[in-house]
Amino acid sequence: LELTEYKVSLTGLHARNEKTIQATQDWERSRIDEATLKETFHKDCDSLVELQRRVGAEYVTDGQITLAWQDLFRPISAGFQGLEPGPMVRWFNTNTFFYMPIVKGAISSDGKALARAIEKRFVNHGSSLKIILPDPLTFVELAEDRHYGSKEKLLFAYTDALRGELRALSSLGVKYVQFSAPSLVYRLKQKPFSRAGLKQLGEAVRNALKGVSLKSGFYPFFGDASPYLPELFDFIPTDDIGLDLTQTDDSALSATGKGVIAGIVDSRTTYLEDVASLASRVEGVVDRTGTKTVTLAPSADLRYIPRTSADEKLEVLGRLRATLRKGSDSPRVKATRRRRAK
Amino acid sequence: VKAFPTQEIGSLPKFGWRTKPFRQMALTDDDLETAKQWGDILQVEGRGDLYRLLSKRYSFSDEEKKTIVDFSLLYAIRMCETAGQGLAKEPGLDLVWSGEQARTEMYETAVSNIAGFEFVGKVRSFDNKYWRMASIRSAPKYKENYHLEELVFTEREAERKVKVPVTDAITIMAWSDNNYYTGKWAKKAGLPPSKRSFSARREFTLELAKIIRRVIRELIENGVEEVQIDIPAATQYQSEDDIKLVAESFNETTKGLDATFSVHSCFPPSLGYGILFPHLLEMKKCERFSLEYGNRDTFETGLDAKSRVGFEDLKLFKQYGYKKQLGVGVIHIHSDTLPSVEVVRDRVLYSAKVTDLPPENLYVNPDCGLRTRRPEIAQKMLDLVVGGAELARLRSG
Repeated sequence: LELTEYKVSLTGLHARNEKTIQATQDWERSRIDEATLKETFHKDCDSLVELQRRVGAEYVTDGQITLAWQDLFRPISAGFQGLEPGPMVRWFNTNTFFYMPIVKGAISSDGKALARAIEKRFVNHGSSLKIILPDPLTFVELAEDRHYGSKEKLLFAYTDALRGELRALSSLGVKYVQFSAPSLVYRLKQKPFSRAGLKQLGEAVRNALKGVSLKSGFYPFFGDASPYLPELFDFIPTDDIGLDLTQTDDSALSATGKGVIAGIVDSRTTYLEDVASLASRVEGVVDRTGTKTVTLAPSADLRYIPRTSADEKLEVLGRLRATLRKGSDSPRVKATRRRRAK
Repeated sequence: VKAFPTQEIGSLPKFGWRTKPFRQMALTDDDLETAKQWGDILQVEGRGDLYRLLSKRYSFSDEEKKTIVDFSLLYAIRMCETAGQGLAKEPGLDLVWSGEQARTEMYETAVSNIAGFEFVGKVRSFDNKYWRMASIRSAPKYKENYHLEELVFTEREAERKVKVPVTDAITIMAWSDNNYYTGKWAKKAGLPPSKRSFSARREFTLELAKIIRRVIRELIENGVEEVQIDIPAATQYQSEDDIKLVAESFNETTKGLDATFSVHSCFPPSLGYGILFPHLLEMKKCERFSLEYGNRDTFETGLDAKSRVGFEDLKLFKQYGYKKQLGVGVIHIHSDTLPSVEVVRDRVLYSAKVTDLPPENLYVNPDCGLRTRRPEIAQKMLDLVVGGAELARLRSG
């Protein structure tokens, strides 16, 4: 346990603060100009980055809260050639919505679509910047394909285009990419994803990351990942694999050399969890996996609760990290240490 | 019996002269002009009294604010009753409401009037649209009937049949922060995480259903005959247990009540409304499902599956042998881009074709409430509903 490194990270789009919310509404009603809106977004991003630093995040995101990120797909569906935003559709089991990407032609990009969407001032500015993107499966499952006629072709066309974007981000100085993969575990009334399908998904992720010097994570949330264990860790070629622990039965975990993104605080409620209970659960994950790196994270995006509560959740993660590092508040850590010492 | 009757879904946009007095903002010349312009268009009776009142521009008393809301209700009723003028020989929706003008919004009004909630901040729904989230901090309790006054007014003033929309328990649960019940169920050991969170949702929902039943019972006692249970969140939580809960909540809400009940829902996930079947049909007292379809459709005329791709889900009703009424959403409400009246006609005719329902069982409506549109766009949308239904009527003979 002493060897485990604990980090903190956001795993999705963050909530906008109340000033930003007001500014977006004022801007829509032409009460403020675009420069004022941008300035408000800047301040909001600044405060969020500062908070992430304070709670010990190694990789920070800019929150992905600006107009470029009206939904997780938007910079892609509006910025890649061959795609366009389509009808408004519910985002999984939330009261949030996205514009379905419509695949109208061959997918390509100028390699700058994602670079345009990030707040570049946070690159190499005391923190390592992380970007969060839809994983290939989620893209394929939620897009409407009017061009390729084959899920496999679409999967690799998307990752081909993504690769150029990721290389450009890497050149800019972005350090980490997380693929958000709710479609893998949220499969109501659909067949569970097959082992062969998971393997192919791994190949698609590998295709996206070919020649890309970014650290990477793959995070399936909104569902129980245990049916995909241990293959999830074996087939997906990212440095870290995420588990939504508000949904996942972690008794199915086994040893891995990869890092684990532990989606431990519930991003769907303002209810603040007891840090000691969370610590105990995380230690269970460490025991089962033997992982050397645990990224403590919200179970999903922190955009489903208001900003104040979202930030409180982030602070819980900071306290959890401190608790786990000290190990002093957890009887389980003491017991494990005693057991290991013997 | 009329073929392809028409209805609205609930909300209509609010004019600046309706909202500004409550935000302590002074009315502008433009606000006054808008009141006059629309008052004339809609031929609102007694509108001169409103103009005189609005000319005060600011510092309205509570009584004056109530008068402003009443006029706002009246404008909305008349907008429903005159929809389709210039486009249809028989203007006016068959079922009308007062545009939810007396409500802050369908969720906020309900949670503001049920004890146990506390507002915690705004959450983004999509783009730059937000809702003010309330958190449940203790078991919810009935405070007062938050729809009674607007119902009495609307019933008195409307010349067409009234349908009152009431937000259901599932939606209030789903749009709220379930702090109290999450905490309560977190303490119960031995349950897997997903079971714990479902139990928290179910207990919260069924407590709310009892309160909403009381609200509706009082509305029925005051003369309303038709109630639309608004469940936009019906497709939010999508597990088998959650879908069953949608039906259970509806049945619990309507238990022992005698009225005509319909259900409205919209914007399902990419899986479509199929996720609700067959449990949707367990809502025994539901006479009509009014659902959104226009959003996903093309702007081409035609009665083929490709042109009418947005209406594919309707086939489910036929597959499950559904024989009651349907309300088909023929206008996407989150865009100012409007279909032609001929496209609306074809949407209606295609709906009849794929459901095999008699035309009198097929209501025509916008996808959802129109509160996010400007008044002139909302009016055009209602015009298209009435005009498109009339063309469909003519075409189908």
